[in-house]
Amino acid sequence: MGIGPTETVADHAADTPATAQEIAGRSPTKIALDRLRSDKIAMICLGIVVLFVLIAIFAPLLTRLFGVELRGGVPIEDTKADSFPIIGPPDYGFTWEAPFGLAPTTGDDNLAEWFYGARTSLFVATVATLVSTVIGIIVGLLAGFSRGWLDRVITFFIDVFLSLPFILVALALSPIIVSRFGADAASLERWSMFSLLFVLSALTWMTLARLIRGEVLSLREREFVQAARVIGVPTRSILFRELLPNIIAPIVVSISLGLPTFVTAEAGLAYLGIGVAGIPSWGQTVNRAVDYFSTYPVYLYAPVIGITVLVIALNLLGDAVRDAFDPKTRR
Amino acid sequence: MSSMTHSGAQPQVATAPNTDRGGEPVLEVTNLRKYFPVKSSGVVRRTIGQVQAVDGISFQVPKGGSLGLVGESGCGKSTTGRLITRLWDPTSGSMKFEGREIGNLSNRQMLPLRKEIQMIFQDPYSSLNPRHTVGSIVGTPLRVHQVVPDRQRLDRVKELLEVVGLNPEHYNRYPNEFSGGQRQRIGIARALALQPKLLVADEPVSALDVSIQAQVVNLLQDLQREFDIAFLFIAHDLAVVRHFCPDVAVMYLGKIVEITDRETLYLRPHHPYTQALLSAVPDVKQAAIGGRRERIRLEGDVPSPVNPPSGCRFRTRCWMAQDICAKQEPPLLQIGPRHKVACHFAGEHGAMPTSPITLDALGVDQNGDHVSGETKSAEDLNAPGFADTWTDLESHKKSSERLVGDHIADRPQ
Repeated sequence: MGIGPTETVADHAADTPATAQEIAGRSPTKIALDRLRSDKIAMICLGIVVLFVLIAIFAPLLTRLFGVELRGGVPIEDTKADSFPIIGPPDYGFTWEAPFGLAPTTGDDNLAEWFYGARTSLFVATVATLVSTVIGIIVGLLAGFSRGWLDRVITFFIDVFLSLPFILVALALSPIIVSRFGADAASLERWSMFSLLFVLSALTWMTLARLIRGEVLSLREREFVQAARVIGVPTRSILFRELLPNIIAPIVVSISLGLPTFVTAEAGLAYLGIGVAGIPSWGQTVNRAVDYFSTYPVYLYAPVIGITVLVIALNLLGDAVRDAFDPKTRR
Repeated sequence: MSSMTHSGAQPQVATAPNTDRGGEPVLEVTNLRKYFPVKSSGVVRRTIGQVQAVDGISFQVPKGGSLGLVGESGCGKSTTGRLITRLWDPTSGSMKFEGREIGNLSNRQMLPLRKEIQMIFQDPYSSLNPRHTVGSIVGTPLRVHQVVPDRQRLDRVKELLEVVGLNPEHYNRYPNEFSGGQRQRIGIARALALQPKLLVADEPVSALDVSIQAQVVNLLQDLQREFDIAFLFIAHDLAVVRHFCPDVAVMYLGKIVEITDRETLYLRPHHPYTQALLSAVPDVKQAAIGGRRERIRLEGDVPSPVNPPSGCRFRTRCWMAQDICAKQEPPLLQIGPRHKVACHFAGEHGAMPTSPITLDALGVDQNGDHVSGETKSAEDLNAPGFADTWTDLESHKKSSERLVGDHIADRPQ
């Protein structure tokens, strides 16, 4: 009667062509993405982020294109007696030979350093975000779904990790890992990168784990989970097929807010001396450039502007993503 | 009762001997209990009490028939449904599905039986995963149990959607695009996908508005006739249960207080709680002719199931309660061919006995004290179904009167 097929077709007839055979449903994720697409600021920020990603990916190509070379400085040839470079700022004008100038003392090219720095920044941020997100998801799902002693044990560990002071642990742990494993120069590079990623992800997964645990605690009491159990869906399937799609929103938001945090954290740690050895990074450039700020400010501006623009773009994008996925901010 | 004629056509249940009266039950529940522990807060969480959600209930659901389970919120009816579908493990008691004990099966052992026992949930807004399409929701049971090959799954889903009266072309829509009644139909299609023999319907229509309720109830009735599905119909709406269920069990605080066929229950209820429950139902006919039925007002709240009253659990709110009610728990006596009631003073409203009728069965006097030389009746009070022989109310009354003794004069009036 009234609840038959006719009723549902009528409300959709207006916005779909009558000829359309397939009536495609709009998933909540699709609705959120559509909302995101109509957000101008988000799209601009996405463009900036994509630009940085392209710079990072094509850093070798770009350096060749600009005719610069990474770490190609010869101190005696490229710098004067006062350690400032013989071309470009701060003593001379702009030159295409070195658009961002050369580094004092070493004579390395700043633009090449900047391109590769973007690469390090984004690589560290992406990997750390991925690792901490995966750990957070798995721990959160387990804690939320297990209830009882396992939940309490996991929650205890989350609390322990949350109580660790980030900077202190990073300062203490990183040299230990590096000196323990990074004996020679080749493995030093690998292990310094590993210790950075380890410190970053091991100390940041807890927030997401807590968030997800809370979400799962409320979702697991919903009847669709019980329906799945009545059907006989295996627990793993319930976790990843039934529950996980419902916590996509907090995960996406956590990722989009985590990326800029890691970019800053990487730079901050590099500035403090915990960073990747042998690989250019914005944080290290900042560390070196601070001494020359009064005489050679451009040296400092390049990495700082890079970090600022990237972080602001990622943050605004993250906000837009959160708004798009949050049902309470329907516009 | 028509279902009894089908009972012979089930070869795989040969293990279950067809003992009583030909009516083969699809589900037999005996003395089922579920206690939830109450834990203290703090680091060491000791169990400081137990919520006696379901405390020793027995009933049976005939093949292709339906039993209604009614009672107010928190009386344990939904818990019962979740025990039968094994969402929760029972504390004790037995549940037999087609003669096979299912109360102690592990999840793995239970898996093949999941096909036979399905559930319809109360809230259509939370029982469908909002991130899955209708096709995926209805197809999940087919996928998990490999009922049809993967390529034919979509066709089967469309068939099922058609069976429940939905447009089969809507399979790739999401639940948020449907109304409450349509969502409930999706839930029904999901439950039907495995062609179960028993459907536990946990308040399937109480979240829907009234005009939709009738459609969904009629749909369920059509499906029951078409596919010969037995229903355990959990509800608090007495009208819906009356429409749907030939047999009805009334629960109060984790116990069945009265179980009988619908005519007896609605016209001649014998338990005070059932009488109170029925008198609370608004009656349009009575209102139309201007007559006002006497309404039984129950005082107070339902006691906590953590610490239920001694003896009869209803006594704290019962206008008939006497000393014996606090001391002796009334047994669920069979007083008619299809009528069991658990009350010391069972009787039709207005004609309830003045002295307890259960004394003979319990072997006690009217104060609930044990009488020497008397023993409890050997009758199996936890039998899930109705026995062939029973003692009617009059005989109970007569045989109990001899135990009332001299004390009857002392009783304060």
